[in-house]
Amino acid sequence: MMTRRLFFSRTATGLGIPALASLLEGEGPQPHFAPKAKRIIYLFQSGGPSQMDLYDYKPKLMEYQGTDLPESIRMGQRLTGMSATQSKFPVVPSKFQFARHGESGAWMSELLPHTAKMADQLTFIKSMHTEAINHDPAVTFFLTGSQIAGRPSMGSWLAYGLGSESKDLPAFVVMISPGQGGGGQPLYDRLWGSGFLPTRYSGVKFRSIGDPVLYLSNPDGFSRDNRRQYLDALGELNQMKLDEFGDPEISTRISQYEMAFRMQTSVPELTDLSRESAATFESYGPDARKPGTFAYNCLLARRLAERGVRFIQLFHRDWDHHGKLPEGLPKRCKETDQPCAALIRDLKQRGMLDDTLVVWGGEFGRTVYCQGRLTEGDYGRDHHPRCFTVWLAGGGVKPGISLGETDDYCYNVVRDPVHVHDLQATILHFAGIDHTRLTYRYMGRYFRLTDVHGKLVKEIVA
Amino acid sequence: MRACFLILATLAPPAAAVEYNRDVRPILSDRCFACHGPDSGNRKAGLRLDQETSAKAELRKKYPIKAGDPELSEVYRRIVSDSKALRMPPAYAGHDRLSAKEINVIRQWIEQGAPYQQHWSFIPPQRPEAPVVRDKAWVRNPIDAFVLARLEKEGLTPSREADKATLLRRVSLDLTGLPPAPAEAEAFLKDTSPEAYTAAVDRLLASPRYAERMAIRWLEAARYSDTNGYQSDGVRDMWRWRDWVIEAFDRNMPFDRFTIEQLAGDLLPNPTLSQRIATGFHRNHRTSAEGGIIDEEFRVDYVADRVETTSTVWMGLTFGCVRCHDHKYDPLPQKDYYRLFAFFNNVPEKGFVYNFGNEPPYIKAPTAEQQVRLSEYDARLKLAADRWKSMAGKLASAQKKWEARAGTVDWAPERGLEFAHKLANRTFDGKRNIDVGADVAKFNHRDPLTLAARVKPQSAKGAILTRAEDYWEGTGYGLYVVDGKLRFHFIFRWTDLGMRVETRQPLKLGEWQHVAVTYDGSMLAKGTHLYIDGKEVEMNVLFDQHLWPIDHKAPLRIGAGAGLGFEGEVDEVRIYNRALPPREVAVLGADKSDAQAQADKLRLAFLERHLPPDLKAARDAMEKAQAERDRYYATIPTVMVMEDGAPRETFVLKRGAYDAPGEKVTAATPQSLPGWKADWPANRLGLANWLVSRGHPLTARVTVNRFWQMLFGTGIVKTVDDFGAQGEWPMHAELLDWLAVELMDSGWDVKRLLRTIVTSATYRQESKVTPDRLQRDPENRLLARGPRLRLSHEMIRDQALAVSGLLVEGVGGPSVKPYQPPGLWNELAGGKEYEADTGPGLYRRGLYTYWRRTIAPPSMINFDSPTRETCFVREGRTNTPLQALNLMNDVTYLEAARKLAERMMREGGSTDAERLRHGFRTLLVREPAARETAVLGKALAGFRKSFAADRAAAEKLLTQGASPRDAAADPVELAAYASVASLLLNLDEAITKE
Repeated sequence: MMTRRLFFSRTATGLGIPALASLLEGEGPQPHFAPKAKRIIYLFQSGGPSQMDLYDYKPKLMEYQGTDLPESIRMGQRLTGMSATQSKFPVVPSKFQFARHGESGAWMSELLPHTAKMADQLTFIKSMHTEAINHDPAVTFFLTGSQIAGRPSMGSWLAYGLGSESKDLPAFVVMISPGQGGGGQPLYDRLWGSGFLPTRYSGVKFRSIGDPVLYLSNPDGFSRDNRRQYLDALGELNQMKLDEFGDPEISTRISQYEMAFRMQTSVPELTDLSRESAATFESYGPDARKPGTFAYNCLLARRLAERGVRFIQLFHRDWDHHGKLPEGLPKRCKETDQPCAALIRDLKQRGMLDDTLVVWGGEFGRTVYCQGRLTEGDYGRDHHPRCFTVWLAGGGVKPGISLGETDDYCYNVVRDPVHVHDLQATILHFAGIDHTRLTYRYMGRYFRLTDVHGKLVKEIVA
Repeated sequence: MRACFLILATLAPPAAAVEYNRDVRPILSDRCFACHGPDSGNRKAGLRLDQETSAKAELRKKYPIKAGDPELSEVYRRIVSDSKALRMPPAYAGHDRLSAKEINVIRQWIEQGAPYQQHWSFIPPQRPEAPVVRDKAWVRNPIDAFVLARLEKEGLTPSREADKATLLRRVSLDLTGLPPAPAEAEAFLKDTSPEAYTAAVDRLLASPRYAERMAIRWLEAARYSDTNGYQSDGVRDMWRWRDWVIEAFDRNMPFDRFTIEQLAGDLLPNPTLSQRIATGFHRNHRTSAEGGIIDEEFRVDYVADRVETTSTVWMGLTFGCVRCHDHKYDPLPQKDYYRLFAFFNNVPEKGFVYNFGNEPPYIKAPTAEQQVRLSEYDARLKLAADRWKSMAGKLASAQKKWEARAGTVDWAPERGLEFAHKLANRTFDGKRNIDVGADVAKFNHRDPLTLAARVKPQSAKGAILTRAEDYWEGTGYGLYVVDGKLRFHFIFRWTDLGMRVETRQPLKLGEWQHVAVTYDGSMLAKGTHLYIDGKEVEMNVLFDQHLWPIDHKAPLRIGAGAGLGFEGEVDEVRIYNRALPPREVAVLGADKSDAQAQADKLRLAFLERHLPPDLKAARDAMEKAQAERDRYYATIPTVMVMEDGAPRETFVLKRGAYDAPGEKVTAATPQSLPGWKADWPANRLGLANWLVSRGHPLTARVTVNRFWQMLFGTGIVKTVDDFGAQGEWPMHAELLDWLAVELMDSGWDVKRLLRTIVTSATYRQESKVTPDRLQRDPENRLLARGPRLRLSHEMIRDQALAVSGLLVEGVGGPSVKPYQPPGLWNELAGGKEYEADTGPGLYRRGLYTYWRRTIAPPSMINFDSPTRETCFVREGRTNTPLQALNLMNDVTYLEAARKLAERMMREGGSTDAERLRHGFRTLLVREPAARETAVLGKALAGFRKSFAADRAAAEKLLTQGASPRDAAADPVELAAYASVASLLLNLDEAITKE
């Protein structure tokens, strides 16, 4: 018998005690209150998408074009080493056209025609701000609540706090796609790692090369029948050991081998898209047939969500447009715009959008001033932590609104600032968790995703 | 989550008297100190409960604690209050009320007069008397007396001694990380003498495998890695430091020495190479080469990492908490953090590091063998040089003779000349330039070079000689006139990666001058020199950050580059692939009035062109010996080390932020810890001396506790990284102190300590569990049974390699790359994919596995390895389906299974039963039970049948791994045995020490 908690189950030794304790009590982790979202799909756009070229429309920038960013706006803001030594900080407006969409009248640039059609499903936060100014600390901060390596990732916290819904898939799955032709900023295992939580809460990476899950397939020449026979004998021997030694760790081991066996069918079944309809593929776009693309991962994300995986995190790389933004940004949008819209539509059509939260965004925004050479038709933007845009959809979110406002330079937040910890608190809230109460004791203190900060962004809660 | 602490609480003896340290402080600390404790910044109502005077002093006409009278103690009244508004900890802040048991403890304590005690771990340990026990016969050494006394108090009895086979496998894995070889096991099982076990222990401790086993946990604590970590995660070379660690354990270096050399080897009088290598410990932290980072922000992080690692490893204190504010639970003010910080703050280092190798300071760290070879090269060089010197007289007369004949000489240095140009048309008008092509002078960032020309500039801005992209911030190198001054740029990325220097004095417009730059390939401005008319001139360093490898298509051009042209005249362009020494530059550039330069020109021309044959042969021999020595020297590895440069001022950083300095502080140890002696230097050496001084309350305790964790799975203090108020009260406090004192009194003899532990009756117990005992003590904290623990990540693989005969032993050396599923590096980071080794590198022990911090080896992470991004001293053990898949399907284990199968068939005998027994015993040491053999036999028969029906499948299965397959073995048989061998390697018992 498998209880839902037992996937990636427990430890009997070391310091990962919660599951052991709960085993003894016969009770699994529970949400703090009824969740609005049973599962979360986080579409992380790594590198820092440019807010003023996508969502945060700033018509006044046309007037300021080419002028130096005034000190009254910059206010001593620190810059990265990549542009701090520039002699000038010329303002550069977006070269892309903006229009309003849907009944909500959301502004979006011409680069996002598909997402635009879903405008009324989306909730924008245009007043996000963060503390870090470089990728590694900023992404680490966004996904673990601290710039310093070693804290559990958001998905690990959720897996720890809520356990798994699925009896033969992990609670937390990660999928990665590169920007085509480029690649982009490197990612690191820590972004889905469990930090000081036991490693069973780590995100499991579903890969597009080789086995979708590492070491999933039996070796060539070793059939599934062989494996069954093998596991029967292994189970029998382990059971003898259990009878003799009485160590509950052995019974867990027996279960885990059976779970591994089930995964050998459940994962290939999951990644087999042959029964998806032509209409579905059309909706997600041509990339959806190519493993390793963002579109393919979006389609897989829906299938994972259907099977009860709690936290599904996609990473799309290469949004770091220090230079040649007019060339690079459209490519990233082409790769992601249609699949994002399709995913939301797909979830809605299947009646899953109400209890699935979808989040889109990167680790920071980009500067209004040009980094590097400003020429006719070409510009670049440096990292900008003071304001950027994310959007959310589905599970418990009030749709069709836009929260927060930035100044005419798209440099500072002027209304309803939302800090990264606030967004984290809000995401946990949708999952039925009070962020102040999901804690883990390590090195003498109770840690949590939001450190000692974070407040629920009530304005976007339906 | 709190349930675990409750379980432990039930284990605590039902005390007649409540004791502050054991019973009260944990409650106050966990539930009260955050607002009423040491953190002055967050203290509520001005109330402080961690200090007796404050807790018992009148406050607003009440007494927080009134000794002897709970009802008059506001603390007690508040914790029992039914009013949500009044009750503490406050319900409005989401806190639960104290349990009845906790309340009772507080009540009892106040009734007893509320006596406070200093925190136990801040009091230096004294050797306690071993307690008297009833079952004296069980006690082999004092450890057992402490353990048994507790068991007797709990009404438990110890388990019987484990059988010999189990015991030998346990102690072999514990002390060497590998199972006993079959012959060793055979000999031990036959040896019935009472000393058999201790003899085996001594043999294991003397093995170099012991040092390797001990080293890997230390590597994890020291956050050792082959890459820098952080986003760009470039490579580094620290393996000579790893060699040092292994050697130190092998020689059983006393732990105090081990500490001093790693923290401060460079500050010892006349430090040896080995002592300097040891200091690599504190250069193992992560470093960042992410473009655009703010240098100081990251440099501060590195120093902070040293503070926190030092405090975790030696003191078990959670100093990380104190970086931003006073500690909430322990008496550690924020100032203490920065006083420790000051010890580590003087390293001449950068925050933004080089991404392609070691970052200064580093040293050449030849191995013993390399030192011998290097001295041979040096000896050969000396011989050749001496011979050349002995010919000085002959040389002088030959030169004199030649000079008399030669008259005036037109000569310039030729060695390393890459390009020379005498211009037919010397005039440049700002538009004209000479494109020499892209294949000339393709110097990369580490290539030394010299650029020289004679120029007559007419304008204050222009490009003389460049190989750079044609805009101002473009990538590449060039010699320019800017603001009238001579300038040299070597740029990877203008904004943050490159070097720019200029002369202090301007050039003279409208006059001919000779200009030159030399660069030694060091990527530093200090390796760069500017010359005018053959004389080195003072320069301004405009920008100085190392370079990255350069790749661009721009040609070498005269009179253009970086978006500039040149107005004036250029001639005598010469480019060398070496940095000319000053006297050679003078030969190039000085005018006739410089007698020294003229003499040098003659001398060099003679040496290079006109030496008589015997002299030439001697000079060539010397130069060849020099070149050979240099070539060999270049292959010698380096290691990053600690060094104190110019002292930096240290400030308390408000909120821990690098750019918010507060009060200035100097290096000192934490106020609440005793033992600092005034005659110690206030540097890392003093700090190290203090840590290992007899009066230090923590170092020995924390150290023995980690060893205890290594052997029993859990420390005596379970929170191995926290000995503060929030840490666990030691399960066997007296035993911990006894071990700590034992370690110190023995001269910090680690082997002796481990020997004492593993020869105790406590350690030798059988590890079987009864339901009753499991219920009573699920984590085996009372030690009424032996440890039964899953093997650590590296041990699982090492064992598989050992029993299959694949293991390639050999101590030390560079990291190796065993199998890893393809594509893992590329999918996360792009760039170069992991390339597994071929040959021995596939089969070395896990501590040598190449460690890329951001994408660590997946099978090691699967089995709970720390990521080595930061110091980590806990040992975690999880049990997941991913581990099952890993052991069943990873080529590492499939190959090991095949080789173990070959061994079973070759060495086991002729019957299935004999062969199965051989495999079983090779792995598990013990005899299989008949019913186990029956299950294995049945499985074997099933596999045999399946492969006999599908020989192609058998052939396929046998292709796993790079090692050759035993050609003599029938593929069907071998595949069937390999399947059974894999099954053996997957047994719970196989990956468990029991």
